[in-house]
Amino acid sequence: MGANIEELKEKILEFAKKKAKHKSKMYIKDLYKADTSASPREIKKAANMLVQEGKLEFFSSGSTTMYGVPGIGKTEEDQFGTLD
Amino acid sequence: MADVKKHDTPMCDELKKGPWPSFVDDIEQHGLKGKQECLDLLGLLELSFVHKETHWKHGGIVGVFGYGGGVIGRYCDVPEDYPSIAHFHTMRVNQPASKFYNTAFLRKICDIWDHRGSGMTNFHGSTGDIILLGTTTDQLEPVFYDLTHQMNIDLGGSGSNLRTPACCIGKARCEWSCIDTQQVCYDLTQEYQDELHRPAFPYKFKFKISGCPNDCVAAIARSDFSIIGTWKDDIRIDQSAVKAYMGGELKPNAGAHSDRDWGPFDIQKEVIDLCPTNCMWMEGDELKIDNRECTRCMHCINVMPDALRPGTETGATILLGAKAPILDGAQLSTLAVPFVPMEAPYDELKEVVDKVWDWWMVEGKNRERFGELIQRQSLQEMIKRLELKPIPQHVKEPRSNPYVFWSEDEVEGGWDRDIAEFRKRHAA
Repeated sequence: MGANIEELKEKILEFAKKKAKHKSKMYIKDLYKADTSASPREIKKAANMLVQEGKLEFFSSGSTTMYGVPGIGKTEEDQFGTLD
Repeated sequence: MADVKKHDTPMCDELKKGPWPSFVDDIEQHGLKGKQECLDLLGLLELSFVHKETHWKHGGIVGVFGYGGGVIGRYCDVPEDYPSIAHFHTMRVNQPASKFYNTAFLRKICDIWDHRGSGMTNFHGSTGDIILLGTTTDQLEPVFYDLTHQMNIDLGGSGSNLRTPACCIGKARCEWSCIDTQQVCYDLTQEYQDELHRPAFPYKFKFKISGCPNDCVAAIARSDFSIIGTWKDDIRIDQSAVKAYMGGELKPNAGAHSDRDWGPFDIQKEVIDLCPTNCMWMEGDELKIDNRECTRCMHCINVMPDALRPGTETGATILLGAKAPILDGAQLSTLAVPFVPMEAPYDELKEVVDKVWDWWMVEGKNRERFGELIQRQSLQEMIKRLELKPIPQHVKEPRSNPYVFWSEDEVEGGWDRDIAEFRKRHAA
């Protein structure tokens, strides 16, 4: 699984970066398309590892969670400003 | 008086005039003690009343490291006027099972939140979590550290995660509880930590556990996966207590509804005639129950708790797919498994959970609740995916709507047939 998960992470990251150019936030189901042979649980696991590594980020509305690529689309500061 | 600025809030102030304690009063009083966030919050609410639109932005990327839930980003869209609530994130905290607290716990959590947040809380949110309202991004990790290290509690679920499981008071205080709801709730919380803290699903997913069919946690109305305690054998009857109720020595409903005189207790009118399946009758002065017909409505047990008790062969019924009315109206859970034994580690229960998730994670659309997937793909599909045996109890009117259809491979000869041969025997 060790080697496979690294491979899967790469595929997901590549897919997410490509997709983020058109739509900066994506659902977990969108990420399934990165590798259709992988199970949803494997995709979820790999995507969450990418978030922990800072290569993907979560966007949560409170009710639904989406994935984004840091630096693509509006950043938190762009949207909401920073506190002094 | 603390150095704070109070906004003019005439419309909010109207809400203080009603007969009940007002949230406006509570928030204002806390603000005047030195929490500018509280006063800014009321100012922003007043502005929303004036404009008749919200001034909150929805969502964000904030969270604590390693978690994809439990923190909900909230931002005000007029931060110049209300700077103290420019960032006003919510934290959801996993409540203890059945919401048991002592005062030391409550004081401590309030102290943490007064120190690192607005001091405003919501005990509890609809899902059951302790809701800590309003803090800034830089305080999220310190609050998380304090909650986990000082108070031994964790964040709850939010977003497309498993939401914090919730249960009724269960065996801790209720004689009717057929299952140890708190143990089930804790076990599921531990078992599914990954799903609780990291988004895995098309949308939210809720477990709720009630100890008996009274369903005090409203599992059947509020959870995608409702676990409701039940029993297989007969209702236990103490005939001497039945007589005591009939003779007026025992008060029906354990003395509830006694604020007015309803007249003497009438077992026929108040119990037997109200049985939804007409499965009770009197033989002389003995109460009889045809337990095969009982639907576990709990009415007779609720009215005569000293005389009637649930059976001893206990377990749970699993129902699936309740939701609130965002799409297509509210939906109650539908029966899936009439009875599962409920002994730790709850393998039978978890087998069903796994099958539900395997189906929903693949076939569920974005933001589609599990109940909506059942509606979209059919109950028949649910039965197939969950590898259940179809039973009449799966449908409301099994005689008029069997809801189970043959598939081609189950029928000898498939769907192909010789129409001419058929017509020889049957006129068109």
